Amino acid sequence: MFEKVLVANRGEIALRVIRACKELGIRTLAIYSEADVDSLHVQLADESICIGAPPSTESYLKIDRIMSAAEIGDVDAIHPGYGFLAENPHFAEVCESCNIKFIGPSSQAMQAMGDKNAARGAARKAGVPVTPGSDGIVETEGDAIKIARKIGYPVMIKAAAGGGGRGMRMAHNEPSLQSAFHSARHEAEKAFGNDQVYLEKLIVNPHHVEFQIVADSHGHIIHLGDRDCSIQRRNQKMIEECPSPLMTPGLRKKMGHAAVKLAKSVGYENAGTIEFLVDKDRHFYFMEMNTRIQVEHTITEEVYGCDLVKEQIRIAAGEPLSEHVAHATPRLHAIECRINAEDPARDFQPTPGRIDFYYAPGGRGVRIDSHVYTGYTVPPYYDSLIAKIITVGATRINAIERMRRALDEYYITGIKTTVPFHAAIMRNGEFRSGNYDTGFIERVMSSGKLDLRSRPIRLHE
Amino acid sequence: MVEPKDIKEIKTIIDLMKKNDLSVFEIEKEGFRLKLQRGPSAQAAPVAPSPVAGQSKTAATTAEAAAAVPKTIESVQLKEIVSPMVGTFYRAGSPDAPPFVDVGKTVTEETVVCIIEAMKVMNEIKAETSGVIAEVVAENGKPVQFGQVLFKVR
Repeated sequence: MFEKVLVANRGEIALRVIRACKELGIRTLAIYSEADVDSLHVQLADESICIGAPPSTESYLKIDRIMSAAEIGDVDAIHPGYGFLAENPHFAEVCESCNIKFIGPSSQAMQAMGDKNAARGAARKAGVPVTPGSDGIVETEGDAIKIARKIGYPVMIKAAAGGGGRGMRMAHNEPSLQSAFHSARHEAEKAFGNDQVYLEKLIVNPHHVEFQIVADSHGHIIHLGDRDCSIQRRNQKMIEECPSPLMTPGLRKKMGHAAVKLAKSVGYENAGTIEFLVDKDRHFYFMEMNTRIQVEHTITEEVYGCDLVKEQIRIAAGEPLSEHVAHATPRLHAIECRINAEDPARDFQPTPGRIDFYYAPGGRGVRIDSHVYTGYTVPPYYDSLIAKIITVGATRINAIERMRRALDEYYITGIKTTVPFHAAIMRNGEFRSGNYDTGFIERVMSSGKLDLRSRPIRLHE
Repeated sequence: MVEPKDIKEIKTIIDLMKKNDLSVFEIEKEGFRLKLQRGPSAQAAPVAPSPVAGQSKTAATTAEAAAAVPKTIESVQLKEIVSPMVGTFYRAGSPDAPPFVDVGKTVTEETVVCIIEAMKVMNEIKAETSGVIAEVVAENGKPVQFGQVLFKVR
């Protein structure tokens, strides 16, 4: 087992990794930017090293400084968290060449699935259904038109080097395809330094259902069920639940089998997630693979009774899959709400600043993963996630009522947060029915019927 | 040897520091050097750099930032050379070589003041300020982090 791990991240996930390490008796080294000097994870780590100025490009993305800190700290392994360098094959390669274990898949596996178009190719090869589309990169406008005529409109033009909801353009007909094709390539070149694009049929208002993969270094690969992440706004997830309300035992078996088959075919190791789109008729299509631990890993943990981050560390240290993970079965229902420092009444405008007072809910079946505290200043340089609240219940409706109850106790002042938004969603009929899709948030926001008033409790003046 | 009259002088300075809410007072004259610091020491290396956004990179501790406000009597304003990277600090190019600089050495912006070794690469660090080295803050052979104070320059 490792003696010391460097946590190459910040915020709630850095705290998550440090907690797992502490429970395993592993010493921790936190790296941080000047904006995070008062961060909770920095204070809890055994050692910490400042690696740069606040902007991510000056700190959390500086591979040389992180490796320098790893060398000084004499660490055995690095956990990259999610975002930042977590899916950067070059970073994984640098760790490999420095003989420091990267807690995640190999750089080759990462590369194979990181190129979104190559990943589709791998899926096709493994016999996993993919959304109808081009069989590779689309070179010319003429090719794009031909393919679009074959698969039918509307279509999505996607950047091969994109991902996470970025670098995508829609086209509903031939004229719009012509202009979208060129602007998509131009945008891709600017954003990712790679103008390669491919075409995919746009499935209208699909469900986004993903499968958790866990694989050890001894060839044992399993899936830990599904998560429904259809509640999104502008391709950013807001609420996730496990299991998916539209899952049936038969569908789970088929999709799970496809997910494991694909992960096996690329020699995947450690934790990863395979994302599918599911249409109204329960046809599923491979979308992309995330070669890292995800934000919403928490709900799988609650339903399957495991600690995925600890399992990541164990796998990286060469241990076989834990017994309780290998034989895990789903029990209960879990929901996660992502609490952001954003104002839902002002189009989710980010609201960095000082949290004057922070009180988080508790009680049975409530889990809070958060790095913030009273007096903490949310910096403006990074994403706006300040907390994840997870509730577990015997049934889906129990989990929802528990979340509603807990959100009404969640008291954060000094900045605006999305707590009132989530509280309103828990009371929303369409959400409660479980019959929602990726178009849900758009519909409910434009209906203007969401009651965004917070339910204040006076704890502090 | 500190004489009784000196103690009286020092007490006066302490009172004035308290009254004007100063944290650090330093004076050097005729071979005599005195530094008074209120509160817990903020000089243990490695020093965490100031987290306040927008603050100049050369102010490493908030105590010294407070002291730099020139409403003081006889306090000396020192510039700082801070580390632009993460690595190990070395005062000389090799173990047998003499240090690049010492207290009292005059430096210009281009003067190499130290080496910071990162991943087996020896990086020469330039002063990027001019003046006279007043203090060598970082310890030879010890790790330094981004923003950590290496030298003080008058």
